[in-house]
Amino acid sequence: MTKATTLGVPAGGRADPARMMEGRERRFAAALLAPAFLALMATTTFPLLHLGWTSLHRMDLAMPYMDGFVGLDNYRELLGDPRFWSALGVSLVYTFSTVILQVALGLALALLVNGMRRGQALFRIVAILPVVLSPAVVGMVWRTFMLTPEFGVVDYLSMTAGLGSHNWLGDPSLALLSVVVIHTWQWTPFAFMVLLASLAALPEDIYEAARIDRASPWLCFLRITLPLLRPAIVMVIIMRTMVALTAFAAIFTVTGGGPGTATEILNLYAYRKSFTELSMGYGSALAVALLIFTLVVTGVLFALRRAK
Amino acid sequence: MTSVKPTRRHVLQAGLAAVAFPALIRSAGALTADLAPYTSAKIDWRQASGEQITVAVIPASYFDNLIALSPQFEALTGISVRFEKIPPAQIRQKAVIDLTSKAGGYSTHAADPMYYALYAANKWVEPLDPYLKDAALTDPAWFQPDDIIPAWRNANVVDGKLYGVPYDGEVTVQVYRKDLYDAKGLKAADTLEDFVSNAAALNDPGNRLWGTALRGVAGAGQNVYIYSSLFREFGGDWFPGGKFRVNGPEAEAALAWYVDVMRKYAPTAAQNWNWPDIADAFSQGTVASYIDANTSASVITNPEKSKVVGKIGFARWPKGPTGKRVSSIWNWGFPINAALPEKRKKATWLFIQWAASLPTQALTSYQFSGPAKRSGVNRLSLWKNPDYVKLMNSFGDNFVATTLEALEQDTDVNWRPRVPQWPAIGDTLATAIQQALVGQATTKAALDEAQRRLEPMMRG
Amino acid sequence: MKGNKLRLALLLGASGLFLLAWIFPIFWSLLNAFKSEQDVLAYPPKLIFTPTLAAFRDVLFGPTSIVPNLISSFIISIGTTVVTMVLAIPAAYALARLRVPGKKWSGFYVLATQMLPPVGIIIPYFLILRDIGWIDTYQGIILIYLSFSLPFAIWLLVSYFEDLPFEMEEAAFLDGASRLMTLWRIILPQVRGGVAVTVVFVFLNAWNEFLFAVVLSGNVVRPVTISMFNFVSVEQTLWSKLAAVSALAMLPVIILGIIAQKHIVKGLTVGAVKGGGRR
Repeated sequence: MTKATTLGVPAGGRADPARMMEGRERRFAAALLAPAFLALMATTTFPLLHLGWTSLHRMDLAMPYMDGFVGLDNYRELLGDPRFWSALGVSLVYTFSTVILQVALGLALALLVNGMRRGQALFRIVAILPVVLSPAVVGMVWRTFMLTPEFGVVDYLSMTAGLGSHNWLGDPSLALLSVVVIHTWQWTPFAFMVLLASLAALPEDIYEAARIDRASPWLCFLRITLPLLRPAIVMVIIMRTMVALTAFAAIFTVTGGGPGTATEILNLYAYRKSFTELSMGYGSALAVALLIFTLVVTGVLFALRRAK
Repeated sequence: MTSVKPTRRHVLQAGLAAVAFPALIRSAGALTADLAPYTSAKIDWRQASGEQITVAVIPASYFDNLIALSPQFEALTGISVRFEKIPPAQIRQKAVIDLTSKAGGYSTHAADPMYYALYAANKWVEPLDPYLKDAALTDPAWFQPDDIIPAWRNANVVDGKLYGVPYDGEVTVQVYRKDLYDAKGLKAADTLEDFVSNAAALNDPGNRLWGTALRGVAGAGQNVYIYSSLFREFGGDWFPGGKFRVNGPEAEAALAWYVDVMRKYAPTAAQNWNWPDIADAFSQGTVASYIDANTSASVITNPEKSKVVGKIGFARWPKGPTGKRVSSIWNWGFPINAALPEKRKKATWLFIQWAASLPTQALTSYQFSGPAKRSGVNRLSLWKNPDYVKLMNSFGDNFVATTLEALEQDTDVNWRPRVPQWPAIGDTLATAIQQALVGQATTKAALDEAQRRLEPMMRG
Repeated sequence: MKGNKLRLALLLGASGLFLLAWIFPIFWSLLNAFKSEQDVLAYPPKLIFTPTLAAFRDVLFGPTSIVPNLISSFIISIGTTVVTMVLAIPAAYALARLRVPGKKWSGFYVLATQMLPPVGIIIPYFLILRDIGWIDTYQGIILIYLSFSLPFAIWLLVSYFEDLPFEMEEAAFLDGASRLMTLWRIILPQVRGGVAVTVVFVFLNAWNEFLFAVVLSGNVVRPVTISMFNFVSVEQTLWSKLAAVSALAMLPVIILGIIAQKHIVKGLTVGAVKGGGRR
């Protein structure tokens, strides 16, 4: 395979059949790949370049006569924009709290269910439900039937429990808590399913050895289960972080970023700037900042994965 | 003048429409109804026959009534109309996207009056005066444009040119529980101070009764809608010395008043309420007063949902410290998309003229055969028509008188800053107001930040 | 022993709580779809009531029927699925089974494209589609859906193709046209399970997507996830109708989810480096 560095038929004489075949295979592979790669470039790479270019412009749909190249002005403005920093902070809080909750709850439940002899199937089916739903529909259901004060079930439970009626989506910290809970509700089943599958695949004999050593269950968990599960947990963390960083629909539906800017994550700010305020140039700069933020977080996570 | 003989095709079309939309069957009477009220106009209604137009509206009963009546328009003109319902939170964005694309997707749409400055600056919509003046297109004696409520018409004028014809609208008024006010010997507030003391007198959260509620949810058409009136009543001016300004002492005083009332006398949940939520709470008897659109009366007087029918009073906006009353006004108007081909522009104008005309306004309101009668008709003459007034006064004491007084005396066309940058201003201001309301920032800090954000935009 | 029983009870209680927490919001909104408007508003919330199909009748056959929206959602989802699979199957096969120039980079490229934040794609896409007049067209929305469905589908399919035994590679001795036939006739049937799972996922993601649809939909393209906002009208929230619409929007994906339940972990694990458009 390595010797075939040149394509085409060697000069003089008949072609080496192995080489010819390899050339043919490459051409065949390229033909199979080309349409998909062209489509990928058209739908991802090209827009990305376009985004970068737009971010160097002033582009206000409200004032097209002001449009023009402004260099790095949008980025300079962005660095001095408190709402950008606040959105970045909300994104961080939202991402980390939802990911930690999902992994912790998902792991706890996976351990619980893994020990069951019967009923695992029920859990698997139920866990599918939230995961396949549209976050927009999930958001709508929570916003209306669950969280509406004096109407929603959550508020009813809170009042029944003597905690009183709360303005779940109108109070800045409760609103942030609510959107975190909604995201966690929808995606914990994912962590649960992946970790359950990994748990089921763990070798039984190690535990046998531990049992003989009369190790406590807690010690077993810390010393055996957790280290063996580590790759799966790290993978779940990476995947959930990516999704949380790009979350949009649920928050858009539930709070629209409010009250004030209490739940305004970076995506939502970029969206509002671009499509409500119609400032596409500045919105693009925000989207680029979001992309850089995503890359940094992903980079850190992958580095952590490699660390051991 | 052409007399219109409904052809077989039209009857067929109308019949098909009725099959497709069972709700229309109820109004099937409208199909066979006499087109005479329209054919008396001295124009050729069929001049754009064969055209197809698309009209974007929001899901609301006043547009549903118009949709129900539209087979009549199709029979009258030979123009086919497609209605597209878009959620209120998205219609502005959708319209702007369509207009910037210059694809002419929506021939006309239910337009926010605050957007005409933006539309006009970009020449996205047609000035309508040429259409009004063209004798081939408009019969002024029949259409009577001056009969359309002036406050709404003026809201749709930019630089002296009309860009949208109001179809339906509202004016904000004070709504209160007469029974509760009477029991405590209170009177409808004349000033904002009275309004606060009334609210304080009735506020009793322990018994699930709050003094008042105002729109709390963030939005250019939500909290800003109410705040802008307060700002003007406190003596605020959007362009002092020609320079745009949203902060300053008047703004702070107005916002402080709003925040104070909302925190002390409104349910906490109201910080996230839009007007339907306020109306729902009022109709469940948990809120003693509110200031909002007169059209909310249809919800609070609906016997199927409301527990306070017959206990409702209406009054004008309370006066601000400057002695002024500034009511928030609104209308859904229809502009003409400038990207349309000429013939379709004419077809669209015929539609607009039909929708805004007196016969259509009557047929979609008190003469409507369905259950939901419109309360936001655009014609002064209708507001003085005994049949309509009788229907409207079933909403409560002096509903019509209050509405008319408010429309004629309490409006101020510049109660919100009518500039092309409105989408950004509205959104920024909405965020600032809510930040102050929920305590994310002080009133001063919130307004100063809004000013800082908006200044560069306004320079541009 | 006593301690064991207590532990068992605790475990059962805890797991029951989880089940309840997941089922309840879905169950509750479903339940509300069968209530009359008065029963929905009743306080405290009613569990026992006379069920009615009025809300479903209204949203299916009433003046604000969502049938066109459901059809629109199906057109988008099926269209996206077909185009995605046609492009992804050959590409995944090539990446998994053939010697490809720059294979490592190609794989990395597919992975990296999944990290783009959707809001970063929609801004340029909106500007481009506007210029070519493709806003509010099915081709426009299907094209942009490829941005998340294609990398996802390739990635998922590669993992299935890689599981095939090596003997299959004897096909390599044939020329291009015959190899295409081999791929179609011999190899593809071997991975039909993987293809089916991929189809389910691509369909789900397209059905559930929101951000692109909110910007690009309109007259023609109007999926049900967008149109449900019409039931929170300017005049009032139509609770039971909203519940009925949510139920109808959930139904197809729940059915698909339960059918594909066995494979869903694999699909999620491989694909959810991004999770497609579902956010």
